[in-house]
Amino acid sequence: MSFKKTLFIVLFLVYFSNTKAQTFELGKVSIAELEEKEHPKDPSAPAVMLFKTCRVYFEDLTTITKVTTKIKIYKKEGYKWANEEILHYLNGETVSFSGAITYNLVDGKIEKTKLKSEGEFEQKINKYYSKKKIAMPNVREGSIIEYEYTVRSGNFGSLRDWYFQYSIPVNFSEYNVKIPYFLTFNKRTKGFIYPKLSSVPTYNRETSEVYKLENIPAINEESFVNNINNYRASISYELALVNIPGSIFKSFSTDWEAVTKTIYDYDDFGGELNKTGYFEEDVNKLISGLNSREEKIDAIFNFVKTSVKWNSFENYYCNDGVRKAYKDKTGNVAEINLMLTAMLRFAGFDANPVLVSTRDNGIALFPSRTAFNYVIAAVETPEGQILLDATEKYSLLNILPLRDLNWFGRLIRKDGTSIDVDLRPKTLSKEIINTSFVINSNGVITGKIRKQLTNQEALSFRQKNIITSKDTYLEDLENKNNGIEISGYVRENDLDLSNPILETYTFKDSKDFESINGKIYIAPLLFLSTKVNPFKQETRAYPVDFGFPIENKYNIMIEIPEGYAVESLPVSMNIATPDNIATYKYVIGSTGNKIQISITSDINTAIVPADYYTVLKEFFQKMIDKQNEKIVLKKV
Amino acid sequence: MQFKFTCFLLLFSSTLLFAQKSEYNTISIADSLKENANAIVRLNQIDITISSQRNMNIMTKRVVTVLNEKGIGEIEATEYYSKTSSVKNIEASVFDGLGIEIKKIKRKDFKDQSAVSGSTLFSDDRIIYLDYTPTQYPFTIIYESEVESSNTAFIPQWYPLSDYFVSIEKSILNVNYPDNLGFKKMESNFSNFKINKTIDSSTQLSYTATNITAQKEEDYSPVFNTIFPKVMMGLENFHLENVDGTAKTWSGFGQWYSEKILSGTTELSEETKLKMKALVGDEKDPIKKAKLIYNYVQQKSRYVNISIGIGGWKPMLAADVDRLGYGDCKALTNYTKALLNAVDVPSYNTILYGSSRKRNIEPDFVSMQGNHMILSIPNGDNYIWLECTSQDTPFGYQGTFTDDRDVLIMKPDGGEIVRTKIYQDKDNTQISKGKFSLSQTGDFLGKIIIVSEGSQYNQKAAIENFQPTDKEAHYKKYWDNINNLKIDKITFTNDKENISFTENAEISAVNYGSISGNKIMFVVNGYNQITGNVKRIRNRKNPFEIQRGYADGDEIEISLPSGFSIEFLPSNFELKTKFGEYKTEIIKKDATNLVYKRTMFLKKGLYSSKEYDEYRLFIEQISRNDNAKIILTKNI
Repeated sequence: MSFKKTLFIVLFLVYFSNTKAQTFELGKVSIAELEEKEHPKDPSAPAVMLFKTCRVYFEDLTTITKVTTKIKIYKKEGYKWANEEILHYLNGETVSFSGAITYNLVDGKIEKTKLKSEGEFEQKINKYYSKKKIAMPNVREGSIIEYEYTVRSGNFGSLRDWYFQYSIPVNFSEYNVKIPYFLTFNKRTKGFIYPKLSSVPTYNRETSEVYKLENIPAINEESFVNNINNYRASISYELALVNIPGSIFKSFSTDWEAVTKTIYDYDDFGGELNKTGYFEEDVNKLISGLNSREEKIDAIFNFVKTSVKWNSFENYYCNDGVRKAYKDKTGNVAEINLMLTAMLRFAGFDANPVLVSTRDNGIALFPSRTAFNYVIAAVETPEGQILLDATEKYSLLNILPLRDLNWFGRLIRKDGTSIDVDLRPKTLSKEIINTSFVINSNGVITGKIRKQLTNQEALSFRQKNIITSKDTYLEDLENKNNGIEISGYVRENDLDLSNPILETYTFKDSKDFESINGKIYIAPLLFLSTKVNPFKQETRAYPVDFGFPIENKYNIMIEIPEGYAVESLPVSMNIATPDNIATYKYVIGSTGNKIQISITSDINTAIVPADYYTVLKEFFQKMIDKQNEKIVLKKV
Repeated sequence: MQFKFTCFLLLFSSTLLFAQKSEYNTISIADSLKENANAIVRLNQIDITISSQRNMNIMTKRVVTVLNEKGIGEIEATEYYSKTSSVKNIEASVFDGLGIEIKKIKRKDFKDQSAVSGSTLFSDDRIIYLDYTPTQYPFTIIYESEVESSNTAFIPQWYPLSDYFVSIEKSILNVNYPDNLGFKKMESNFSNFKINKTIDSSTQLSYTATNITAQKEEDYSPVFNTIFPKVMMGLENFHLENVDGTAKTWSGFGQWYSEKILSGTTELSEETKLKMKALVGDEKDPIKKAKLIYNYVQQKSRYVNISIGIGGWKPMLAADVDRLGYGDCKALTNYTKALLNAVDVPSYNTILYGSSRKRNIEPDFVSMQGNHMILSIPNGDNYIWLECTSQDTPFGYQGTFTDDRDVLIMKPDGGEIVRTKIYQDKDNTQISKGKFSLSQTGDFLGKIIIVSEGSQYNQKAAIENFQPTDKEAHYKKYWDNINNLKIDKITFTNDKENISFTENAEISAVNYGSISGNKIMFVVNGYNQITGNVKRIRNRKNPFEIQRGYADGDEIEISLPSGFSIEFLPSNFELKTKFGEYKTEIIKKDATNLVYKRTMFLKKGLYSSKEYDEYRLFIEQISRNDNAKIILTKNI
């Protein structure tokens, strides 16, 4: 009885998978498919992947990846999907295409055009990389194209990430890995939709792991998203363990502890971190006579910032090594920040490297060596951690460049153990504006502004503007501020990083004044008011990323012209979103010929979940509407 | 509408001498050269030796003092090479501010890469460049290179001043050539600059330019090479990728191009020829025939840039394009020509500079120029121009990528310089007819039909193919004066026959009018505001140019909420200046119905730097009047 039942299931499975398999083979193009004019679920899609499947298996020491793709082109905007390119290493990796055919419907008949060698190209990029490219022939609106490519890689155990989701819809996607008994992999899926996994033992003590997803919608960029790939459905395999009984036992990353231990044991990481001889004399000189902790950390941090320049290469391991970087005065991220860590340790601090994944690299969600691409330094103090990144010359203790501010990093201690470090800034970065101005009855407003920027706001200001010539900066400033005329511009603390950026200037504004029918209408923020809501979409799928918590504060003092009196003022307002994500406070009052306004708006959370989008959008709209409400003055 | 290009490769080149270091310390630089400069070219010496029709050697010695990060691009330690040219020497050394050498850079330290850019699928061309991370500012770099080429068709143009924000201490050009190759040159824009022609003989030409101060980049400036000095050079008897050529007159050059480069590239199979004959059927009119063929090409082909052999100058064979269905601008142009041939319609390959900033083929200097190719068909005394890389452009439409400029038509019996179609200011129209109503709570509800023609068609037609999210984003930006905008419905009519694009939109917005007390205030001109500022520029130096004019007309019916009376209506307004004309008027039909009429006409033109401020004020007045408001009071 039970035998029969099992047999039935097996038969059913075989039958089922057979029919499935047939649907997703190359060379089966139907007239109905060719006639289809638009995607039934997404009519605006310029093309669709009818299917995309991948098989990965191992032959001796070679990793073989076979990908088959069938694409339907609906519109001209989808033509780019008729070109494909595969990046590969020159050393030990080859890519070959086969079965590349374009199908068209001509007078009711299916016409096949094969890709010949003239449409295949090998473009050598540099010493290390090359790209294999194809351009499919005879493609027009309505065409179906299909091809298969095979990547043979001698880089054993290193699998390419598989993406289920693209900027066009995908009807079916399958990822199939055949794993020999002696290998163990870590598997990570990302995105908002998850593939179904079925695991089937096969011959030779292998296991076939198959992931399937159907009807995957297109994924597209949205504003205030740090990196769309964080939300794209994908899977990655990373080798965790090789275990051939009696022969080899080698473990790789399986959890964060193991990952960091592996990284720490690299010569180009831990080995470089432990070198000290090259700087000892210089650092001794630098800190002799300094007493307080802050002074010493500052001195060492500044020393590294000024004496070794970043060559823009991101990685957590050294390239030329710390010694050479120190001598040449240039290095990659690891050379600079591992050197910094080593110097801080040498000076007696409990300093450790922190592995980071930059915003461009995506969020480090799962333990893997490739989850990180960057390293910074941390000093443990009784008051908490101080994070440092010496690649950015305007950075400060705990004020890191924006590229670093990406969820969590991983701190590695001397013994190889590790812990999570929250990289999201907790303190508000502020923009504080104090202004007082006089409204003249001839329509010209003259006044003074004093503007302060702190923390991240100051950092990004310095990055952008310090090297800009003053003339150019002022022209841009005038232009951005509704064409005001600026004079007496003074800026302080450009290079005094411990103090806020401070700008003061006098302005003349003749545009933010409206005199209608003997009355004067004026928005108290003049040219400083935001007029357009940055959130335009009706709905949103992904979290809103502000980078860091922000406070905008305005203190405004207005003097009204002689012969006029206040007819009406906007009403004071105090609003907040649920969970205190954002707050806005607007207080206005007048005495005599003076009007005083104080506005504070806070975004308290760097990253706001998508659930709050509608609330946030409304909050911004109320804030903007309020800012643009007019004071009305009448003749007396 | 987007035309893709990168067609011909412009071969740039650059040299070698000995270095006397101390003269390059940064202390001795004159203050006048530091003003507005991110970098100072201390010496740029280019020695070009043409030893025969098939050999050119270019030696460059370039000494640049870089003052800050923005000046790094001025190092220009870059050479291109291909199968017919080679970089024989390339090296650099770096000196600190005092003129002390801090680094030597050998050839192996330069990056050597494929020179493929974004839209190119394949190219043989390579690039060697220096990727230097400065360790301090200022620093001085001495760069030397030697390049040898058999292509004498491209002698580099000499720009003593090559960019904005860089000053020149000394720039030297020396050219040596045999007297039998017909060396020629053309100087432009020398006035106002210190340039000495030191030798000008039958075998030698030399210039020295000294002390050119850094130029600021100013908005609305004409194209760089039309305002700053340059020398074009060429040979009457040149060599290009194994073919000898002649360029005495445009006629002779065209003949050579047709015979040596184009001949044999337009063969087609009998089958294809018959197909084309069947396609045009009994049609006799050559233009109507051409229209049918052009439509066929647009349906069948796509743009893919593949640049192989003859420096990317020889088009791919028409038979190959016929089979593959893709090619670059030359391939697609030539293919279209071949198809037209098959139905006895003559047409000519046409070389030009493709760009929305108009640039001419220099008519008085016969040489290899241009970066794009289109097809011209004689039509009486005029021509019809076909952009063959686009699948959407209407027959004969030039948009803003190839309009109004001198181009070179390659007729079989010789080349000829012709002006492409000029879209007259008055024909670049956008006519809007619509209405909107305002509710008692200030909400906006409107419908509008916008018809765009002439060069304005170009900007609009692309919207039709946008993805829904991009479409929404476009309109929210286009009408960013309307907060809380909702696009309720939008449809398009693209009349390619008459080259007219219609947008039919229904939109709404809450709180369009702002309410204070018992009043509602709202902007009359809801649909077509000029909101952008023209930047105030202190001491403008360059002339300014309006590249294309236009004419907008709006007629909008406005219905007011009942229960309100008009407190204030903006008065009619009219402006007439040399830059154009602007007029608005409001007609009161009854108590709640108004008609708003607006016309705006801008002329194209080249104006002196002095007139810039006048233009700025012209636009400012328009922008102010576009923001005029109506005030309504609630009836009590």
